[in-house]
Amino acid sequence: MQRDDTMKKKVRNLFLAVLALLPASVLAGPSGEALSFTCAGCHGTDGSSVGPSMPAIAGMDPEVFVDAMKAYRNDQRNATIMNRIAKAYSDEQFKEMAWFFASQKLHLFPQAHDVALAERGFKLHEKHCEKCHENGGRPGDAGTLAGQWMPYLEYTMDDFLNGKRKWPRKMQRKVDAAIADEGQDALPALIHYYGSQQ
Amino acid sequence: MPRRIASTTRAACFWVVLLSLFIMPAVYAKSVEPAGELMIHNFDPETGKRIIPNERCLTCHGDEKEKSDVRDDGSPVKIFVHSEQIEASVHGEQSCTSCHVTIDRVPHREAPKVVVGCIECHKETWDQHKDDPDGKHERLKVVNEQIDNFMDSVHAQPNKLDQSRTNATCYDCHEAHNVGELGSIQRAEKRLKNPEVCGRCHEKELEEYRTSDHGKAVLEKGDSESAICSDCHTTHEIASPETDKAKLAITKNCGDCHEDAQRTYFDSYHGQVHRLGYTNTAKCHDCHGGHEVKSADDPTSEIHANNRLENCRNCHTEANDNFLSFWPHSDADDRENYPTMWFAKRFMQALIFGVMAFFWVHVLLWLYREVMDRFQGKGFIEDLNHPDVVYFRRFPAVWRWIHGLFAISTMTLILTGTTLLFSHTDWAKTVVIFLGGVEMEGIIHRTAAVIWLGIFLSHLVIAICNIWCKRDKFEWFGSTSMLPNMKDLRDLRDMFKWFLGRGERPQFSHWTYWQKFDYWAPFWGAAVIGSSGILLFMPEKTALVLPGWMFNIATLIHAEEALLAAIFLNSVHFFNVHFRPERFPMSTTIFTGAIPIEEFKHDHRLEYERLVAAGELEDHLVKRPSRRADLAASFITSVLIMAGLALLTLVLIGLMTTPS
Repeated sequence: MQRDDTMKKKVRNLFLAVLALLPASVLAGPSGEALSFTCAGCHGTDGSSVGPSMPAIAGMDPEVFVDAMKAYRNDQRNATIMNRIAKAYSDEQFKEMAWFFASQKLHLFPQAHDVALAERGFKLHEKHCEKCHENGGRPGDAGTLAGQWMPYLEYTMDDFLNGKRKWPRKMQRKVDAAIADEGQDALPALIHYYGSQQ
Repeated sequence: MPRRIASTTRAACFWVVLLSLFIMPAVYAKSVEPAGELMIHNFDPETGKRIIPNERCLTCHGDEKEKSDVRDDGSPVKIFVHSEQIEASVHGEQSCTSCHVTIDRVPHREAPKVVVGCIECHKETWDQHKDDPDGKHERLKVVNEQIDNFMDSVHAQPNKLDQSRTNATCYDCHEAHNVGELGSIQRAEKRLKNPEVCGRCHEKELEEYRTSDHGKAVLEKGDSESAICSDCHTTHEIASPETDKAKLAITKNCGDCHEDAQRTYFDSYHGQVHRLGYTNTAKCHDCHGGHEVKSADDPTSEIHANNRLENCRNCHTEANDNFLSFWPHSDADDRENYPTMWFAKRFMQALIFGVMAFFWVHVLLWLYREVMDRFQGKGFIEDLNHPDVVYFRRFPAVWRWIHGLFAISTMTLILTGTTLLFSHTDWAKTVVIFLGGVEMEGIIHRTAAVIWLGIFLSHLVIAICNIWCKRDKFEWFGSTSMLPNMKDLRDLRDMFKWFLGRGERPQFSHWTYWQKFDYWAPFWGAAVIGSSGILLFMPEKTALVLPGWMFNIATLIHAEEALLAAIFLNSVHFFNVHFRPERFPMSTTIFTGAIPIEEFKHDHRLEYERLVAAGELEDHLVKRPSRRADLAASFITSVLIMAGLALLTLVLIGLMTTPS
């Protein structure tokens, strides 16, 4: 009889403990890593995308990431589906994801490029772009250009040039200057340069 | 091959091919990891804030090829900073964002606001390191003192046109990226740049300064030793030039270089008033000009002979050409340039030293002798069994009033006059504040002087009348005459013999030699102090007839003679009359007018015997003064003695602390 009572109490306590912890674990929410699983479909495992029009977001500057997500959420940046996806997340969750991706190493994939054009692109980059996109456009506060998928860069520049995306401060002036230097080859040259980087 | 197997093989091949489609690109296109740290290392793990290394800032701000950029509105903006200068400066180990705290993104997402607060960091750092034994942060103490000075300055006040900012802030003057250590090259460079830095706001002043001797030396010859703005206006305690604070500071600062000029200025009346803390008197820049200071031989100089009178007339509106011969920087110790002053000072000092040395020796010996006599039961001792009831009438009421008023006005003159003479002392400054400022003090001094001279002249008239009335029988060298005679010399000799125990105390007539000296010394003093005082009473009137250098002579003689009188009266006279053991603590005769007959007999035996012989003693005998009269006289005498001793103390403090 005594043993039965003890057993019942143990079961009851266990039940109460589970009951007490359950809402807490639900409230804690998924981690940045868990949230980022959903991005893998397009942006590749841990943000190193394999699709040529999908930007790699591994090793991305976390503040740039948050800025981008907020711009998508507020329909301030031209998107295919990112504007719909972004609306599902809170600022805090953006931050969690940003820190997750910032903690990842970027895996780059070789891309076919024109070496001569890339060489011209390198010179243009040094002259017009390097001050903001430092270290040849490696991940930083101005985004990731080095090794970025070339088709993505092409689409993005189209967006800028066609007014679908707002120019960051000073960028239009710099792009205009690059085009003034190299004509219509300027942007392809730059894209080939970034695509050439490993 | 059975069909089933064949179909299985086909299916397998299909799957292998299909699989290879997926696997092959991955195998072929093997990914690479770029070198370098993870992005998260660019952020502070504790605060989560971005770490922006100085090199990142210098990518743009250190590019010598592009020293300027354009703002969002298209206007040009200088963005270049010398990284070598920063590294060599006291802030060389700081990161850019330690000061530029508003910068959180590079490239800047918005036009950056240059909001740099120096104060908080310097205060916190000093608080943290002030007890460090290595003393590496010692200089921060000065920095924090200067911060406090700045906070009280006009530069820290809100700008009138734009209340959102102060008139000036740290980096308006300090070249923010190039703050050097003491003695560094930056410091010398900073001195040369100082006028231009101040001139960014104070344009008019800079233009004036350029024409000055200081300006030419600094800006044209690169002489960093010559005066720059901050040498005169201070670096951080900047006050509006209209304020007393600024005027006092500027005059003080001129003296940091022009030491002799300041010393001689402080010896002059103008300088004395100024040193008391008042600025309504001629100051360096009132005569020499402020920013346009030039030497006297430059025709555009304010102190050029042709322009000087205008300066005098700023205050002395009726000044005439005689003012030009006033020596504003006369130096009584400079025999070559001011021989008259030199001789006047030597004469007055010889007089002071001679008189004081002689009489202080006289006092000390007298004290010694009387003390010795008392030990031996000799000298005048009051007979307590037969208290004095009969008194000798020594002074009629008019002399008592004259002495009382003369004493009060003299003390008033000493107090008000010595505040100027000893304007370097704290007591002088306190007294002047108590009296209500230098102007009020001038009024009090002149009022007391009028009373004092009035009394002197009245006494002269009364004395002459008395002599005239008794002209038939007045004996110029008789026993009641004040004129010195040979007996006085003999008495003096005999007194010294007595002091030294080589003779008896001499017998005196109606006036002793020291009483005659107490009379004639102020007589002479009144003539000298009075006449020099009259010259200084209304300078513009005096200058109608006398040259300006007479003010210099008059000021010197007036002061020295007054000093002699102040010391003599409050020490020697007090001893002779009040403090010698036979009289201690005081004699009230000058207020009661009567002296106990026994005391009279002791001090003036010859006169007593003469009066007895002539049968005239009875005419001079009076009753003992009433208790009330005696108390009143004691009270007044006490007050005057205390006041006199207080003045003597102040004068001696002043003399001992006079800057050499």
